[in-house]
Amino acid sequence: MKTFKRVRLQWRSHPLWSRYISPLGKMYLNVVPWLDILTMLAWGVLFLKYFVIGRLQLLIHPNYFALVLVAGIVLVVLAGVNTWNQLAEKQGKIPPLTAAETQHLTLFPPGIGTGLLLIVALSGFIIPPKILASDAALQRGLSETLPYTRTEAQTFYSAIKPEERSLLDWVRTFNAYPEPDAYRGQPANVTGFVVHSPTLSNEYILISRFVITCCAVDAYPVGLPVKLPPGTPRYEQDIWLEIQGEMSTETFGEHRQLVIAAKTIEQIPTPSNPYEF
Amino acid sequence: MTELYTAFTLFLSLLVEALPFLLLGVLLSSALLFFIDERQLVAKMPRNPLLGALFGSCAGFLFPVCECGNVPVARRLLTQGAPTSVAIGFLLAAPTINPIVMWSTWAAFPHQPGMVFWRILFSLIIATIVGCVFSFQKDPWPLMQPDLAKRVMNQRANQTSTSSALWTKPDPLPTLLQSGTFLLGEGSEPVRLDDAATGAVALPYQKAFQRFSRHRVRLFLNNIVQEMRELGAMLVLGSATAAAIQVLAPRELVLSLGQGPVTSILAMMLLAALVSICSTVDAFFVLAFASTFTTGSLLAFLVFGPMIDIKAIGLMISIFKPKVILYLFAIAAQLTLILTLSYSYFF
Repeated sequence: MKTFKRVRLQWRSHPLWSRYISPLGKMYLNVVPWLDILTMLAWGVLFLKYFVIGRLQLLIHPNYFALVLVAGIVLVVLAGVNTWNQLAEKQGKIPPLTAAETQHLTLFPPGIGTGLLLIVALSGFIIPPKILASDAALQRGLSETLPYTRTEAQTFYSAIKPEERSLLDWVRTFNAYPEPDAYRGQPANVTGFVVHSPTLSNEYILISRFVITCCAVDAYPVGLPVKLPPGTPRYEQDIWLEIQGEMSTETFGEHRQLVIAAKTIEQIPTPSNPYEF
Repeated sequence: MTELYTAFTLFLSLLVEALPFLLLGVLLSSALLFFIDERQLVAKMPRNPLLGALFGSCAGFLFPVCECGNVPVARRLLTQGAPTSVAIGFLLAAPTINPIVMWSTWAAFPHQPGMVFWRILFSLIIATIVGCVFSFQKDPWPLMQPDLAKRVMNQRANQTSTSSALWTKPDPLPTLLQSGTFLLGEGSEPVRLDDAATGAVALPYQKAFQRFSRHRVRLFLNNIVQEMRELGAMLVLGSATAAAIQVLAPRELVLSLGQGPVTSILAMMLLAALVSICSTVDAFFVLAFASTFTTGSLLAFLVFGPMIDIKAIGLMISIFKPKVILYLFAIAAQLTLILTLSYSYFF
């Protein structure tokens, strides 16, 4: 590789053609700085767009909304200042930077890195983020216990009244004191989407929510089994429901489990803020 | 198709979370390169190997750069006469032990402050040990790439005979007929990388203490653009890998690999070496595995990744002989394995 580089450099350095740059190469060198500017602008505007239309909550934890807003503004400003400098350079008002001044070790040719970033930003404009649903929940393993890497997060949530607990509050409470019988008879009022667990019979559905600690990548599903009132058809997967009922316990196999015995079930539209944090 | 769509969403969420942190890191490292005078710093460095390695590791607070930014800095430190232990300590630990990386790790694991703590402690231990080992080699030249070492030695000799020799070019050949690594720029003479590294050519940050000017701002902006381009592209590739593995890899395989104490650590170390994601944002990458892999293995990724990966090796070849890189790699890998295994054992 090194010899190759050396040979190439020596070949390129021959006085006859060392100054020659092909028309395509010239175009490339002219285009790259503008591509950089366009990429920064695209990402900045994408961030601002996500912030304004409220799409960030489908992607990341609310703690970082402000950071994304600031980053968006900084990127747009950077694109603006760079455009200004680039124009001034083209008009000959300021000299171009020399090679020594732009010293940098890189692995990607400049056009490749920028192009990659630009393509991703543009596809971000075109394709809206998806709301994670039952398929992802089943793939990630849905349960009423928190994954064991999160178990340090245990807080005793009993300060919240049972009827005001969200699904996540229930799961957290249960994790802090995992005795199903302790919650028997308590009123429940939760919302979530429907998942059909392969281990549950037809009269049960799983009511589920995704919980985000940082961004959608770490979204983990939590859920509780719901016993449908007799005669109710089983709801399709991914339908959002608001369920009122009371807590009871059932035995599945050898496992005693907390179950919501539903009294009223109402179908609701997918909330704009589908994740819990 | 839905799987692909889910993967795209996860990919996008990783980028939206990580890019602001990356931007912050790039802004800070670009700014600090201008405001810190490396020569003065080198003169004050401790010569004791243990202190030197510790000093080098903690220098990340002065230069909050991730692993691609730190190779050029380490290279300049070495060529300006910094002790080997400082340079090695800096090379291995600075990408982890800096404020932005701490913040982003905290952001990724808000309920597990231990992740930040152990990540820093393990990086510090490994960097110090490796730094001490390499400090037995008092002169750094035999470790370095022969070309670079020779040039630096020549330059030193010239420097001692006449102080102005630093600025003259002893080589009568046209620059492009000489061998070595060059920086090619648009429409100007190529610059020998080693000249840039040793200060034979004035670099932007060495003029740093001149007054604030439009030219300086342009250099600062140029550095931001270049780093964002390079690190951003790496981030895109890394995020795509993480999202793809999370959605497409069969869960049984991931779980069987991720729950064994040794296999999980080895798998994550391999992943860390292959996925050259910047240390500022690698905590977000590793989140994708938080529910399926052991905590020890996540730590292994966070400790080992910033030290050694394909991209870093590609850059390190510009400083060290291949043999040295191999030793660095082997020692760092073994120490990471031992430390994270003992973490899994005790916690």
